[in-house]
Amino acid sequence: MKESIKDRVFQGVITLILGILGMIALIPFLTVLARSLSSKVASDMNIINLLPVGFTFDSWKYILSDLGLWRAFFISLVTTVIGTMLGLMVTALMAYPLSKADFKLGRFLMVMVIITMIFKAPVVPYFLTVKGMGLLNNPLVLILPHILSAYNLAIMRTFFKQFPVEVEEAAMIDGCGCFQILYKIVLPSSKAVLATVGLFYAVTIWNQFQTPVMFIQKTDLFPLQLKIRQLINGGSEFANIVAVNNVNYTENTLSAATVVFAIIPIIAVYPWLLKYFAKGAMLGSVKG
Amino acid sequence: MKRNKLIALVLVGVMTLSALTGCSKGTGKETSEPGSTGKTEESGAEAEKTVDLEMWYINEGFLEVKKGGALYNFYKDLTGVGIVSPYVEWNGGTTYQEQLNLKIVSGEMPDIFLPVNGMEVDLVKNGALLDLTDLLPEKAPHLWESIPKEAWDVIRSYDPSGKGRIYMIPNVVDYPVSGGIIRQDWLDKLGLPMPKTQEEFVNVLRAFKTQDPNGNGQADEIPTGGRQEARWMDHLFSMYGIAMWEGNPQWDIYDGELTYSAVTKNMKDALQFMSELYKEGLMDQETLLNDKAGWEGKIASNQVGVYYHWAQTTNQKAESIYNATGAKPNLVVMPPISAPGYEGFYTEQKSKGIQWVVKNTDDQEKIDACMKVLDAYGNKDLWQKFFLGVEGMHSEMVDGKLRRLPDDKKTMENLLLQPGTDISTVESVTQLLENIRTDDTSWSVDMSVANLAKMPEYGKLIAGNGIPSSVYEGHPDIMNRTLYVEYASRIITGEYSIDKFDEFVEKWNASGGEEVTKAAREWYAKTQQ
Repeated sequence: MKESIKDRVFQGVITLILGILGMIALIPFLTVLARSLSSKVASDMNIINLLPVGFTFDSWKYILSDLGLWRAFFISLVTTVIGTMLGLMVTALMAYPLSKADFKLGRFLMVMVIITMIFKAPVVPYFLTVKGMGLLNNPLVLILPHILSAYNLAIMRTFFKQFPVEVEEAAMIDGCGCFQILYKIVLPSSKAVLATVGLFYAVTIWNQFQTPVMFIQKTDLFPLQLKIRQLINGGSEFANIVAVNNVNYTENTLSAATVVFAIIPIIAVYPWLLKYFAKGAMLGSVKG
Repeated sequence: MKRNKLIALVLVGVMTLSALTGCSKGTGKETSEPGSTGKTEESGAEAEKTVDLEMWYINEGFLEVKKGGALYNFYKDLTGVGIVSPYVEWNGGTTYQEQLNLKIVSGEMPDIFLPVNGMEVDLVKNGALLDLTDLLPEKAPHLWESIPKEAWDVIRSYDPSGKGRIYMIPNVVDYPVSGGIIRQDWLDKLGLPMPKTQEEFVNVLRAFKTQDPNGNGQADEIPTGGRQEARWMDHLFSMYGIAMWEGNPQWDIYDGELTYSAVTKNMKDALQFMSELYKEGLMDQETLLNDKAGWEGKIASNQVGVYYHWAQTTNQKAESIYNATGAKPNLVVMPPISAPGYEGFYTEQKSKGIQWVVKNTDDQEKIDACMKVLDAYGNKDLWQKFFLGVEGMHSEMVDGKLRRLPDDKKTMENLLLQPGTDISTVESVTQLLENIRTDDTSWSVDMSVANLAKMPEYGKLIAGNGIPSSVYEGHPDIMNRTLYVEYASRIITGEYSIDKFDEFVEKWNASGGEEVTKAAREWYAKTQQ
């Protein structure tokens, strides 16, 4: 009994501290949200904390009426969906043969794959190669460089290795070819790894910044992350002559609204994906 | 059970710690580059014989200049050459530089571009830039004449071969851009004259602090102050004859020799003065913590008496004070004040850096096209047009006159060619200010115009004008003034006594200051020939 009171106090304290930390993590987000809903005056005076001052939707109206933002959103969405599907397909097709011990070349190929994971291509040759493929200012550049990641391949290969050989043998006896085994037997039973790896691909493609910065210089082709960066640009100090704006937003409030806009999809989707993230971490840790 | 508890404890501890350290770190660094005000672009041709050029310049979020687009056609009309400019992420110059380097190694250097961080010197050494020495007078006479001879001389001193050839177009300004800006309306309200001596200045600050000049019944006035890293408070340094640029110490003649102003006796006395102001509460107690938004927020909140900024944009500050608080401020540039035994001035630098370089090529057609663009860029008759941009995009017709619209990144293409601010004179900038005047803003535009007109008499051209960043080669800490910021901040806040200043000078010299000084003096000797 004594023990359990102690335990409860202990748990209470831990919960309290974690609760406080959680609140602290929330504060920056609230500040940004508050700024996105504040007036120009409040922003100029720098008096916004956790709550909006001079509440207004003007910043939101401005950014949501920007066709470019929606186009960028659409580009990110489409490339993420296509890229994830392609990525899963290519990764599975490569991981499956590599998981077979009797595939003689497999070991060599795997070493080659691991090398690309450890030694990243230097920027200049990478740029020249990708450019040489005609991908400069081409939306495909948002997909193609990402559809096979060595890390994801390793995860999937490990998973396939654990797949019981007996099941495959049984399928073969029933007359399945290699492709049929993969599509009808192996993949349908590998939903966990597909979800995990798919999630990794989706997050990589949705969040990519460096690749589009290097290869996309047309504002019409910007994915969301680049568009956001374009909108929240500024802050450098130039003694430019600019006309005074009689609108109820500033660069600061617009940046804030844009940032919130970009976070919302992730926040909306994340809770449903959380379990796969956890699973993914487990998968990565099991060595085959 | 015990083990689990222990793990839980450790985890919570680690999280708390990381949260705390995360909070204490990371003051974002803003970079202001004196010298990159203008915008330019040029581009290419249509079906006929127009030549298309690719131009790269700072773009902080505006749309790219597309072939066949509105701005492309506008530039084609003005220059006879088509200009395109892709969107290149600027990011304080860092990402821009990376992208530019990639372009250069892949053999696709833009035809005309803004070089950053001293990259132009290596490009000249490798023969990658066009020698403009003979071309300019012949094919771009307007630009040749718009830029004063002294500025061209500085550019000649940058030729690494020592032959004095011209490979770069400078960014020039022929008046001191900034000064201490005082609330004249507060002075009037308290019946005080414009301070002329340091003693009067301090008394004005005391009056601002105690006599409630903003009339809100609270003692919330901040007599003066600045921003973190001891920036944007040059008006206090200037009293001691210190060459200073927005908080960056500059080079000038002290004791007969070119010297970094941060290691002079002038600086020691200035820091002592400031530490006294700080102690008495006459300087913002958050001066060394203020970021841009923080400090400008205080100014906009009608709380700050004297601050340091650009004369030509006082209208923007005045409007934000008016919009925020309803008070119509009168912002006036305070004539420089001399501390006893010193000669005060506001620092003037005619060369603010490199604006353009041109790619080396044998293609005569390309060379001619580049020169056409540069000639139009230097043609004062076109400056207004370059500023106003495309009607319907950058400007609109009001009462029969074109007026520049407020910036809108959603719709505006990036105005690359801004000769009115790249080659600025009081006259050219005044003209630009007229282009933003409306009935509502007339009062504040008047203020900027009046302040701007006063600036030439307040400035002193420093000897280190146009000093190339190559003198700092191998000593990035000195260029970034790391040691100076640390000591200056601690002395101002009283954490260090002023005696520590000598230790700073010693350390500065030992950590590379001596070499940098030597390089700077060699450069200076060369320009004096």
